[in-house]
Amino acid sequence: MDPMSELSASDVPTDRHYDGAHHLWAMRDPASGRVRIGIDAIGLEALGELAYVAIESVSASVVRGAAVGTLEAAKMTTSIAAPITGTIVARNDDVLADPRRVNEDPYGAGWLLEIEPSMWDADAAELLSGDAVTPWAEAEINKLGAETEGPRGESSAAG
Amino acid sequence: MPLRLLVDDGASAAGGLALDEALASRVGAGRSAPTLRLYTYRPHCALVGRFQDASREVDLDVCERENIEVNRRPTGGGAILMGPDQLGVALALPRESGGPRALMTGFSNKIARALAKLGVDAAFRGKNDLAVNGRKIAGLGVHRDSSGGLLFHASVLLDLDVSLMVRVLRTPFAKVSDREVRMVSRRIATIRGLVNREVTIAELRDHLASAFGVKDAGELDPEERQAVANLEESRYGDPGWLRQRTPVTDTAGRASLRTSGGLVDVHVAMAGRTIKAAWIRGDFVADESAVADLEGRLRWHSSDQGAITATVQDAWRHESGTVDADALIQTISSAIIQARDESTAPYGCFVTPETSHG
Repeated sequence: MDPMSELSASDVPTDRHYDGAHHLWAMRDPASGRVRIGIDAIGLEALGELAYVAIESVSASVVRGAAVGTLEAAKMTTSIAAPITGTIVARNDDVLADPRRVNEDPYGAGWLLEIEPSMWDADAAELLSGDAVTPWAEAEINKLGAETEGPRGESSAAG
Repeated sequence: MPLRLLVDDGASAAGGLALDEALASRVGAGRSAPTLRLYTYRPHCALVGRFQDASREVDLDVCERENIEVNRRPTGGGAILMGPDQLGVALALPRESGGPRALMTGFSNKIARALAKLGVDAAFRGKNDLAVNGRKIAGLGVHRDSSGGLLFHASVLLDLDVSLMVRVLRTPFAKVSDREVRMVSRRIATIRGLVNREVTIAELRDHLASAFGVKDAGELDPEERQAVANLEESRYGDPGWLRQRTPVTDTAGRASLRTSGGLVDVHVAMAGRTIKAAWIRGDFVADESAVADLEGRLRWHSSDQGAITATVQDAWRHESGTVDADALIQTISSAIIQARDESTAPYGCFVTPETSHG
């Protein structure tokens, strides 16, 4: 079965923020203030199964939009662009050792890293959240579906 | 979208890779024009995939002895050997050009069109190959920069010194004899080997430029040259870049199955839960191109049972040899299960070892 037929906006939960350009989610823990980062289901659909993930070291400073890591998936390698500015305070070692955990549970055990934000309110204003999430997800899924149904579906490469 | 053409030969490993990545980054940020680069490396450069363990994939002692540069690509996949007869094709596009999957279709189709002008009928296979009758003639990859810039890359085999390749890139062979070289040669296609004449790099380059709709070569501006130099120094010239390791474990497994149609013997090399490569041999009768094609499709493939079943059934749908798809699926799956119990793999993942298919 084509996995695209199974993907819907309901696969993109509205309880967190999204970097629409990079298909990363960001979720702030109100108690600690830390922001957990992961890949959303639409981004994973475009990437395919993950083979490798690398994340910058804990304590590294990160700037929104700059690379905070790299991953190799079935269909491409890609830089992971930090959705917020701050300092890395945790990396998910389980995911680094077994990246398929991201495909299996992207919003839970498959998180990538945690950042102590230095300007959360300003960054959060740049991200999608609340009522904006579902229409954006629907549009992105349609875009991805149109691409998949292109002239030769088996089209992308891992390199 | 108008493309700029860049042409260069004899690139160093670090310089060649830095230029590709700098282009992707700058094009993504809107600071450079979308660019097609057609280039060769100096003889020779061994380039491992983005996350590969270089010491596992490349014989570093041989490289040092024979003055072969070793470096790490930004794109994924397996190790490759580049030199004057392997044309690098790098296409840097901005995010607005479209989705990577559709763009990769266009990229591979244009390369296939250029090869067709030379009389070579190549088709996209699996996830990262252009192949001719199951034999790989070009490896493809795509990298997305944090700027959103997309780098599509291909290495097209005009010719290849297979003997050198099997000495430089690690293989599962206990030794590399003429027999192994011949066997590897049958898994790989080159333009010169197929058209049986001395096609030049310039001729191949002209056909590629034409397929991408570009003609006159341009140059880097001073700001671009500086960006390349900076990246060459900070990344590709840094020994730490090559020495990188990943927590994902490499493993290997082997399984055999005696069937009424003959013995099926499968080796797999794994990176975590991903198949890096599979080698299929035995004494069953099958079209060698079908076996080569199946091995190619299984490179960088999911180890999930459902995915393997779908791939083998599709690859084997026209095969009328003495073993059926179920026997292959069963043997491959057993090899994967065995690999999960292994702690280390003794070799890399680029070629096919001994096989007895005729």
